[in-house]
Amino acid sequence: MLIKRKTADVQRGKLQAAIAGLSSGVMDRRAFLRRSGLVAGGVAAAGALQIGAVRKAQAAGLGPSTGTKIVKNICTHCSVGCTVKAEVANGVWVGQEPTWESPINRGTHCAKGASVRELVHGDRRIKYPMKLVDGQWQRISWDVAINEIGDKMTEIRTKSGADSVYLLGSAKFSNEGAYLFRKFAAFWGTNNVDHQARICHSTTVAGVANTWGYGAMTNSYNDIRNSKTVIFMGSNAAEAHPVSMQHIIEGKEVQRANVIVFDPRFTRTAAHATDYVRFRSGTDIAVIWGMMWHIFKNGWEDKAFIAARVHGMDDVRKEVEKYDPKTVEDITGIPGEQLERAAKTFATVKPATFIWCMGVTQHSVGTANVRAICNLLLATGNVGSNGTGANIFRGHCNVQGATDFGLDIANLPCYYGLVEGAWRHWGRVWGVEYDYFQSRFDEVPAKGGRAARTRKQNMETSGHTSTRWFDAANLPAEQVDQKDNLKAMFVMGHGGNTIPRMPDAVKGLEKLELLVVCDPHPTNFVSLGGRKNGTYLLPICTQFETSGSRTCSNRSIQWGDKVVEPIFESVSDYEVIYKLSQKLGFAEPMFKNYEMVKGKYGMEPTPESILKEINKGGWSTGYTGQSPERLKLHMAHQDKFDFTTLRGAKGSPVENDFYGLPWPCWGTPEYKHPGTHILYNTSLEAKNGGGTFRPRFGLTRERTLPDGSKVNDTMLAENGSFSLNSGIQDGYPEFTMAVLKKLGWDGDLTPAELETITRIGGANVDGVSWAIDLSGGIQRVALERGCVPYGNGKARANAWNLPDPVPVHREPIYSPRVDLVAKWPARPDERTLRIPNLHTSIQKAAVEKGIAKSFPIVLTSGRLVEYEGGGEETRSNRWLAELQQDMFVEINPADAQSRGIRDGAFVWVSGPENNSKARVKALVTERVGKGVAFMPFHFGGVFQGADQRGNYPAGTDPIVLGESVNTITTYGYDPVTAMHEGKVTLCQIAAA
Amino acid sequence: MRLGAHFRFLIVGLALALTVAIAQPAAAQQINPTANAVKEQQLLDALRGNPSGEVQGRISIPDGTAATLIRPAGREWREFHQGTMLRVGAIAVLGMLALLAAFYLVRGRVKVEAGLSGRTMTRFNGFERFMHWMTATCFIVLALSGLNVTFGKAVLLPLLGPQAFTNVSLAAKWAHNYLAWPFMLGIAMMFLVWIKDNIPTGTDLKWLAAGGGLVGKGHPPARRFNAGQKVIFWSVVLGGAALSVSGVYLLFPAFAGGVLNLQFWNVIHGVVSMLMVAVILAHIYIGSIGMEGAFDAMGSGEVDLNWAKEHHSLWVADQMKKGQAGAPAMQPAE
Amino acid sequence: MARVKFLCDADRCIECNACVTACKNENEVPWGINRRRVVTINDGKPGERSISMACMHCTDAPCAAVCPVDCFYTTADAVVLHSKDLCIGCGYCFYACPFGAPQYPKVGNFGSRGKMDKCTYCAGGPEADLSPVEFQKYGSNRLAEGKLPLCAEMCSTKALLAGDGEIIAQIYKERVVKRGYGSGAWGWQTAYKETIAI
Repeated sequence: MLIKRKTADVQRGKLQAAIAGLSSGVMDRRAFLRRSGLVAGGVAAAGALQIGAVRKAQAAGLGPSTGTKIVKNICTHCSVGCTVKAEVANGVWVGQEPTWESPINRGTHCAKGASVRELVHGDRRIKYPMKLVDGQWQRISWDVAINEIGDKMTEIRTKSGADSVYLLGSAKFSNEGAYLFRKFAAFWGTNNVDHQARICHSTTVAGVANTWGYGAMTNSYNDIRNSKTVIFMGSNAAEAHPVSMQHIIEGKEVQRANVIVFDPRFTRTAAHATDYVRFRSGTDIAVIWGMMWHIFKNGWEDKAFIAARVHGMDDVRKEVEKYDPKTVEDITGIPGEQLERAAKTFATVKPATFIWCMGVTQHSVGTANVRAICNLLLATGNVGSNGTGANIFRGHCNVQGATDFGLDIANLPCYYGLVEGAWRHWGRVWGVEYDYFQSRFDEVPAKGGRAARTRKQNMETSGHTSTRWFDAANLPAEQVDQKDNLKAMFVMGHGGNTIPRMPDAVKGLEKLELLVVCDPHPTNFVSLGGRKNGTYLLPICTQFETSGSRTCSNRSIQWGDKVVEPIFESVSDYEVIYKLSQKLGFAEPMFKNYEMVKGKYGMEPTPESILKEINKGGWSTGYTGQSPERLKLHMAHQDKFDFTTLRGAKGSPVENDFYGLPWPCWGTPEYKHPGTHILYNTSLEAKNGGGTFRPRFGLTRERTLPDGSKVNDTMLAENGSFSLNSGIQDGYPEFTMAVLKKLGWDGDLTPAELETITRIGGANVDGVSWAIDLSGGIQRVALERGCVPYGNGKARANAWNLPDPVPVHREPIYSPRVDLVAKWPARPDERTLRIPNLHTSIQKAAVEKGIAKSFPIVLTSGRLVEYEGGGEETRSNRWLAELQQDMFVEINPADAQSRGIRDGAFVWVSGPENNSKARVKALVTERVGKGVAFMPFHFGGVFQGADQRGNYPAGTDPIVLGESVNTITTYGYDPVTAMHEGKVTLCQIAAA
Repeated sequence: MRLGAHFRFLIVGLALALTVAIAQPAAAQQINPTANAVKEQQLLDALRGNPSGEVQGRISIPDGTAATLIRPAGREWREFHQGTMLRVGAIAVLGMLALLAAFYLVRGRVKVEAGLSGRTMTRFNGFERFMHWMTATCFIVLALSGLNVTFGKAVLLPLLGPQAFTNVSLAAKWAHNYLAWPFMLGIAMMFLVWIKDNIPTGTDLKWLAAGGGLVGKGHPPARRFNAGQKVIFWSVVLGGAALSVSGVYLLFPAFAGGVLNLQFWNVIHGVVSMLMVAVILAHIYIGSIGMEGAFDAMGSGEVDLNWAKEHHSLWVADQMKKGQAGAPAMQPAE
Repeated sequence: MARVKFLCDADRCIECNACVTACKNENEVPWGINRRRVVTINDGKPGERSISMACMHCTDAPCAAVCPVDCFYTTADAVVLHSKDLCIGCGYCFYACPFGAPQYPKVGNFGSRGKMDKCTYCAGGPEADLSPVEFQKYGSNRLAEGKLPLCAEMCSTKALLAGDGEIIAQIYKERVVKRGYGSGAWGWQTAYKETIAI
């Protein structure tokens, strides 16, 4: 089928001319190539081949094909945020061109980005709404689907409560979609709303936010060009974030930087390191503390930085003393010398940055891992300036935005928490009474020895996490801390094969009364298990078929325009959420602030108007300055931004702005804050993108001295640490009306601002803070005076409110080193987020049962470049699927030989729980060390050897199916966020 | 002629599926993948002296040949194909034609010395003749289409022009692919049917020593097949087998196991077929204009008694004996 | 005269396969045909390098030399192209090619080959530039639009360079000098009988 360039310029060139060697075009082309070279030669100093501008001019000279329009959107795969340039002719997406002007990807893509066009031609998409009737898929209309789903949800709500319906959202939503879905949960009356951040960086967000204020990447991909030392730990950017490697490799070349890769596996990223450090999965804290041991011993720490900006480093110093080189080598397997060299390099060859991903986060000690890394950064002063920072590469295209907008069990949009003040704040923004929301939540009866909860208390209690949704369905009702067990899953854009213990998930699926899957492709939720009824499949379009903004990992927000109309009968997230709200009876209050336009099968809100509502309420995170108009202006002038600093060029319409207005972008859009490229960067003015650590943990902290007396340590910055030209040349708390008054700055407020503040404050005007002042006046005044609205505080080396305030090494739940378990045990059993978390019981049982003997191989998991997430979307893309046609397990040649396993042969991988097993191909390679195996996590559709292709509706089955690694992975949950332990368990492998 | 060298390296290539792995002993403790990078020159150097080597790596698509990054051996095959092959072919075909022409001029047609007797005897029955002609027809088409692949570009292309030449070549390719099967069947049948008469014996040595009657006077005795015919038989059977095996591999590249093997089989196929064309040219000559009375053997299947006595005296004697025992009697030929 | 070439800087290639899917996307290459591929040498060992490989558009191209129907031609930019109208699918170019570039769709009996397909340097084929029939047979003709091959344009780390051979050699040289290491211009000796001296 010819679907490209039907209407191209065909005058030039004739057959004979072509054979003779191309006539008319030759001079043009030669000239072009020569010129491309001249440009390239100039830029080559920076290691770049930049041919965009010349090429474009040349193309224009040749005359573009008629009737083709260019639409810019953002790649829907990873969080790097590559701009996709689509050529559209007659409503058909006919070609992709490189977007040279994007400061993030400069025209480039990875395998996924270069093939996104297939998504909107995909013949394997869900074509119309369907439901499962006695095991058969039946086509139904949208109206029937929404009616039946709504009725069933209402029935479950009446019987079991609102909390019995789990709202699982997606990092594939646009910001507006994510926000809308969170708002939907609020109107439905539950905090059981979550998305993929739970399983990728929830522990990062918890760890980082508890250290210095915000839970996000501190710098940017581009900024890594400034780094002289780069550490990767548990991050395989070459496969997971390939375009980021453009910045990192070029930076490495230009700076002659050290790139140190810590990984149990010799990854494609490790192949470009200057030092590769192999270590045992699940020993991250010991690795970091081992480095810190050398740093403290040799005095390589940044003493001035610690004194001015860090609280509690001495507590860390005390813990680190236990991690001498011998102990660390025993735990981690890293030769002492190698670790010392890495520590020295990181501490002394600065600026240095630390990059981590799920290798760090997906552990039962995930939050503590993150906290340890933060401490390393704080101790060496590698936060808050160019080339430094915690560069957390997030996973999905909008996992940052979806996190920001509270698709999370513990937050309202923009990290407002679940406290009354937060609910009232969003109630004001939405124009809905606080009492309404309260009325929507369940009353939870007393059970299992726990006290009952009122509606208000339930409204302020964190929800149940997506990592254990099936436990909430399977466990005895008494153990589940909500009105009743889980009865329904409403899943939008989330795979079913992404969390461990799939045999348990299968049981959970069978318990559900209602399963709704809204997705462009049927996910593993559909193929898994033996459901016969009560399953609905709703076709949702991709982000290429609708508009909206998305936030990349570096907090830059990019606007994507609709490329083509939603294909088949699919509709946008906005439309389906609106339809369901209508059915459930709260569409009017929920959507009243939005501009409604005609969607595919009814009305839908415009993403612009949703973003404007976000701008009205997102003060705490600085999501207020990024109006749709400003974002669109940035997309139109991408070429005006500097490649390293991301700053808009002088004299351009985006002058001084940072690309994508990375949050926090304080104040109103009219205030024109440039956004914040680098968080906590004191070398810039607050109103010009500068910042400080956020004091959100009190103003002082009591400390007991060795003699038993107590002192109060300040939590505010000291020793002259403040952002450039600060009006307060010292630490200071967050701005409230009271603080303004005390400083005598309240006179700077305009009457209109004052009026709004007075209205919000009511009886307590002094209590109105920078975060709930809808006028933006308090922020404006603070910024004008050179201050950061949230204050100027210290980062916490000791996060006293977390389970391990100072991280300690704890062996994985399934540890291969049983001899170390006694000394470094898992945490005692506890309850985490509505259900029991049996760290110790399971770990002890594993030791007692001798699991490490019968399952001697450490199993870890990770990404492939061709696929993403649960993989249904990418495994349905024929351009990608061809490149990875089989699920596999990487096994070391020594282990393979001793088991009689040949490269490419089938093997059974068995796990220690549920008698789980998976039939996959062996990839015999030295990438993994002896006694270690690796499996990619994108596969599904084959379960314990059984092909489930028949479970997909006809014609929607992905091209490639395979066993999921999470059939094998096991119990283990972080005590803070219930992140699963997907990166370390034990297994056995045998030839099939 | 570097044919021997070609064969040697190709055979080495078959035996070795070389995976180049430069072991990089890591500097104590420091594993620096950047500094340890494998260099192309190292790999090419490692291939030196083993021209059939390949630079191989890993690739995820399930196509083994795709994992080969660089195969310098392609150059060697090209040299063979554009050089040796053309020379072998030209020499074999043209040389044989020249030889036969010269022989004809010198020796003229080999006559039946005793003159035709008018009495015939059955030399080949209908089945044998069908078998022969099926194989022969296939061979001619296969040979011509094969020659076209090698020489068509030089000979036919200028005459026909590109598109017509392609059409011809495409038809030739299909003919080659399809007629290969009856050809192989024919070879197999001939082998089974005629093997018993083609076992070399002492008589053959004498026959050869006497020049087969082609040079000099008098006819050495021979059984059903004389040594010359046995040479043809074995050439056809062995050559045909070689062409069959190599041809099948070339038709089903997936079974050949890699390009090096394909190159090897291609060389076999090319060289053997050229030699066979030469042999068959001689065969055609002697079976037609080269010798009086010979064509009848495969034409009608009935040969003149005198011809048979001169060329296959022992066979005639045999047949006579059988005839006495009730075998088919000789018939007068009008 | 401009002489276009490909150069894969293996010290930058991360095997992201963007070049592979970009090619599929741009040229609508069907399943089973890979005009470009990425091969990893020394997989899993320190020293591992990945190299993106396709038709290198050789000087004195072996495919053209051995083609029995002479269906290859070289453009003024030194791009080696072929005519699918003339190709008979004999497979000789595949035997001769040092880079495994020629690909054949499986058609007809005996698993025999269809018309050969290979990288065109995004320069189409003998048909009229940018005509639908050219696209159908060979894929896109970016060169005629003044653009370079999409694989190189979309390369995530700018490892794969396309353009005038002298210029990309210069870029590579500057890179090597700047960073202090380089594993070589893979395939250049074989394709162009030259290397880049640093």
